[in-house]
Amino acid sequence: MTQDGPGVPALEMRGMTKRYPGVVANDHIDLDVCPGEIHALLGENGAGKTTLMNVLYGLARPDEGQILLDGKPVQIASPADAIARGISMVHQHFMLVPVLSVADNVILGAETMANPIFLDRKQARRKIADLAGRFGFELDPEAKVASLSVGQQQRVEILKALYREARILVLDEPTAVLTPQETDEIFGLLRRLAADGRSIVFISHKLYEVLEIADRITVIRRGKVIGERRPAETTEEELAELMVGRAVELTADRGESHVGRPMLQIEGLRVADARHREIIPGLSLEVRAGEIVGVAGVAGNGQDELVESIVGMRTPQGGKVTLDGRDVTGLSPRKMNMAEVAYVPGDRHRFGLILAFPVYDNLVLTGYYSPPYSRSFLRDDQAIKSSAERQVEKFDIRTPSINVPAATLSGGNQQKVIVAREFDRPLKLLVLDQPTRGLDVGSIEFIHRQIIAKRDAGAAVLLVSAELDEVMEMSDRIAVMYRGRIVAEMDGRTADKSEVGLYMATGGREAAEATA
Amino acid sequence: MTRRVIQSLAEPLAAIVLALLAGGIMIFLLSGLVPGRQPFDARLPIDAYGALVSGIVSFNGLTSTLVYSTPLILGGLGVAVGFKAGLFNIGGRGQFLMGSIASVAVISAIGGATGPWIAIPLALLAGALAGALAGFIPGFLKATSGAHEVVTTIMLNYILFYVSNWAIKGPLTLPRAPQPTTQDISELNGALYVLPFTRDLHIGVFIALLAVPIIWFVLYKTTLGFEIRSAGANPDAARYAGMKTRRLIVLTMSLSGLLMGLAGSVTLLGQVHQTSFGYDTGIGFDAITVALLASSNPIGVLFSGLLLGAMRAGSPAMQSQAGVPPDLINALQAIILLFLIVNVLRRVLARRRAGTSTPEPAALTAGKYSTESVQ
Amino acid sequence: MARLPRKAIALLAVSALVAAACSSAAATASPTATPTPAATPTPAATPTPATSASASAPATAFKIGVVTDVGRVDDKNFNQYSYQGAKDAADALGASVSYLVPKDATEYASDIQQFVDQKTNVIVTVGFNLGNDTIKAAKANPDIWFVAVDVAPCVDATGAPDSTFACKGDAATLLPHLIGIQFQEDQAGYLAGMVAAAVSKTGVIGQLGGINSNPAVVRYMQGYELGAKAYKSSVTVDSGFFSTGDITKAYGDPVFGKTFSQQFISQKKVDVLFQVAGATGNGALDAACAAGIYAIGVDVDQYQSYPSADKCIVTSAEKHLASAVSQTIKAINAGTAKGGISKFNAANDGIGISAFQNTSVTLPSDLQGKLDAALAAMKAGTLTTCTAQCGTWTGK
Repeated sequence: MTQDGPGVPALEMRGMTKRYPGVVANDHIDLDVCPGEIHALLGENGAGKTTLMNVLYGLARPDEGQILLDGKPVQIASPADAIARGISMVHQHFMLVPVLSVADNVILGAETMANPIFLDRKQARRKIADLAGRFGFELDPEAKVASLSVGQQQRVEILKALYREARILVLDEPTAVLTPQETDEIFGLLRRLAADGRSIVFISHKLYEVLEIADRITVIRRGKVIGERRPAETTEEELAELMVGRAVELTADRGESHVGRPMLQIEGLRVADARHREIIPGLSLEVRAGEIVGVAGVAGNGQDELVESIVGMRTPQGGKVTLDGRDVTGLSPRKMNMAEVAYVPGDRHRFGLILAFPVYDNLVLTGYYSPPYSRSFLRDDQAIKSSAERQVEKFDIRTPSINVPAATLSGGNQQKVIVAREFDRPLKLLVLDQPTRGLDVGSIEFIHRQIIAKRDAGAAVLLVSAELDEVMEMSDRIAVMYRGRIVAEMDGRTADKSEVGLYMATGGREAAEATA
Repeated sequence: MTRRVIQSLAEPLAAIVLALLAGGIMIFLLSGLVPGRQPFDARLPIDAYGALVSGIVSFNGLTSTLVYSTPLILGGLGVAVGFKAGLFNIGGRGQFLMGSIASVAVISAIGGATGPWIAIPLALLAGALAGALAGFIPGFLKATSGAHEVVTTIMLNYILFYVSNWAIKGPLTLPRAPQPTTQDISELNGALYVLPFTRDLHIGVFIALLAVPIIWFVLYKTTLGFEIRSAGANPDAARYAGMKTRRLIVLTMSLSGLLMGLAGSVTLLGQVHQTSFGYDTGIGFDAITVALLASSNPIGVLFSGLLLGAMRAGSPAMQSQAGVPPDLINALQAIILLFLIVNVLRRVLARRRAGTSTPEPAALTAGKYSTESVQ
Repeated sequence: MARLPRKAIALLAVSALVAAACSSAAATASPTATPTPAATPTPAATPTPATSASASAPATAFKIGVVTDVGRVDDKNFNQYSYQGAKDAADALGASVSYLVPKDATEYASDIQQFVDQKTNVIVTVGFNLGNDTIKAAKANPDIWFVAVDVAPCVDATGAPDSTFACKGDAATLLPHLIGIQFQEDQAGYLAGMVAAAVSKTGVIGQLGGINSNPAVVRYMQGYELGAKAYKSSVTVDSGFFSTGDITKAYGDPVFGKTFSQQFISQKKVDVLFQVAGATGNGALDAACAAGIYAIGVDVDQYQSYPSADKCIVTSAEKHLASAVSQTIKAINAGTAKGGISKFNAANDGIGISAFQNTSVTLPSDLQGKLDAALAAMKAGTLTTCTAQCGTWTGK
């Protein structure tokens, strides 16, 4: 036992084992969380974190092992059971009713009745106000959930947990959807909750976050506990190595770029959304061969529209897009694909993959129509499968076989399927929309290396990312996008992070005047 | 591999057994309603099922099953192809009627002049094309204006029913018939009965049996099939992949309608021979059941089509031999289908849940994968 | 207009039901059911389990099978009363009877075949839609008697259905075991028209048919108009049809029937309404009741079959379906039946109007006498009850 002070852990899991056919998801995992402790559970996607928490929350039945609460062994049969025992879980995907108010969402499922017919709203509201005041939630209980930001919605989820008297709070990747400011706020809240004596299990694969917030870090890999560290005693590099199982380069060494001819030229691009609002009112940008141009910007400033207009998913209202000297404005996705343009979409589940289809079909999703994958409208399954085997090997896609559905792969491996499909051919231009969002460090490293390799082979790369760190790290040149315009361009080597951040937040006064 | 096949067959078979049991219990409970039976007559379910089996398991029963299955298989394939592309073709009724009417039109126009060996292939072709046209319309409307195919196909069912009625009453009606009715083509369709020793086995049965592998091949071995399945499984991804999704909608609806039209055509040529005013069948809707039961798998359609065909073939014996009233037979069939569909839905839902949950590889490699997804 | 008391028919129906079911369940095992006419049903013993199909039974058991049209067997219409007739005959003959209701048009032929396979002696098929399949089955199975209700068999020189409807072949000789039952609806309509003219106060009466292309519907209506004018030449007869093409609206949609009839009543200001339109017509009866005018039913005694309109139904123009089917089957059994068309009219009690059961209607004192005279003239064949183009609608 490594916990501070006297007393028993609030939660202890001993020898938890959960097997699924063919895989041991949890292999004798031990975990303990003390009262008032923030305990981080660190591991790559697919390491078994979520399974462990599902067992704790009564969503899965363990094959072996024991759960102890306050030192007493318990059986947790269902989520209701878990809640009754003071365990609450905040999922990545919020379980809120958008049309109801914050207060109603909090009460939902744990209603106190004033009489057999009516809810005791007054008492409930008092309790919510009390909790919100005590921990500094800054939420209007009467606001409709639909009108809240993602960060606020997450706070509603946490408030829900507290309302149900949660003593042990499990947060599954809580920062994945938050802005840096919102992350800071949620960390403050978590610290106050811990100070109140509550135990927090914080699931993440982001190293710097874990180091910032956790009192203790347990690293799991392939279903096993690999090590336990305290933030003061460890570094990002060590945690990464524990997580991945080998030394990892956390910052890509992108080397020298050898910039060639202009490959992608965008002039005066105008794009409107479905409601005819002009999202991009005239944008110009150039990407040259052998160069990575990173587009930084707060999400929702027209990045999606820019990317979709280039690759043919959206028809621009005006302007011109030139690829290697050829006018490609408004060409279809198929034509752009044939013009040696790779596109990694931002939403891989919606656009990039057909989750129900096997890996081999996903690997030919954009190239199925031509040799070697098909001849005169007939698929050549032999060619498709052997190419798939080769790409799985080449791109290190971890999958039991090429025949399983893409849905069964971890996020990182799903993204590798897309990268393999899009990258494994001669390319002039790569259009990458958030290519590493939500991925584990190992996959991020791999994908970054693939991008750099393509650049070095002479392709132009347009990288759009909401993660400023990624843009800073990868870009030869950085363009900041603000309200549909490029408000600043700077050299990737010399750019200053806070300066980029300022442009992102305000558009930059000078820049705004210049383009107006 | 064989284990997987056994596994995949075990569930529907268990469902059929359970369904028959449940149906038997229902008949037992309601036996008081059957004339001449005591309430709670335990023999009635046995007699009823005995009659059902006797209606199916004989040479004529088997051929009759095949004949009834034919339009159900063809129509079921049509609905299944639509489901694969994410399209719900409820317009089977109208497409079926168009197939019938077009075949009648061809036979009455040229049958006498050319003889069966030319007229019948042309009638089949016309039926298929008329069905395809009836499917093309909702497909085109959806592709160009976004009008939902469920709404347009339902409306088209009415329109086409009246078109068919108009044709029966108008240009196709026999001049001196006391009521509007079309030419009886049984004089011409000797060519359809290729096995002289059977009573009613017509060439449409072989068309249906042949259509199963063809549609399977189209769906799984051609680029068009890949596009159809992609558009159904994830339309956004299909568009991303450069597939022309609008063209696919039109094409798939046309193909779906073509199969329905063919069903109407072979039913008319091989089974009904003649349409009279108000001609209509329930096959357009039963085909939906067939496709759902089969999870839209063409091979599955073959079996579910045979199952529903057997039910049709066996129910007259249940009525006339065991004295079970037709209402009770319909209820029995409904309860059996309900059981089977619940079983299918359970599998589909389980797969969908697996497909969308956050990937935890262990939970999902449980070997239940198949490439189809309904709707 | 000799009619069986209603109660007796109901009793017969119930007993026939029991007898039929018992015999069908134990048809092969209990040959005690003798073919001699039995006033009382065969002993209602508990069904003895049918152990095996014995080969000796068919010689004694007379089997009747009824294939109805699509719908229900208890449709208070053709299906029901045709089956009723078969049951009445079976009861009288100690025969067994069972029925099949096809799901849709694809099942007509195979349902008939089902009874052929069961070595049924008489197969009754109900309605024009089954006509062709019945003719084909009759040609293929010359030993079995077929009774086609509401069908005039039309065959070519070989005895096959004649698709040109030239009807060159003589069905009666080519298919001697096929009997087509036809009714002279205009006679029933004529009597109904007389009643309508008699009870009308305004002298404007109306009639609504299902579809103008149905000759049976048209014959009723032509007879109705002639009958009304014969009773009182000054009477105005307004005619209309529910539909020109939609069979559901014409015969199967009471809700539509009611709204359509309400408009018709308020526009034409009729005070008696006759309907010839199946379930759609039931809506017309409702509309008449709602408007406070008289109504006249069709095909069967609707005062009995559609009691919710009792307060305004004066009478109904009836086809005596059950009687016709029953008579025909009995004749077959007795060996007196002949192939071809069997015409049912006033002469053989095939048509009529229902007894006046609605006591709220005051009838002119001379009406019954005139009706009796008309019926007698019909029986004698001296009364014209239809127009020259009988069965073809020439009006607007």
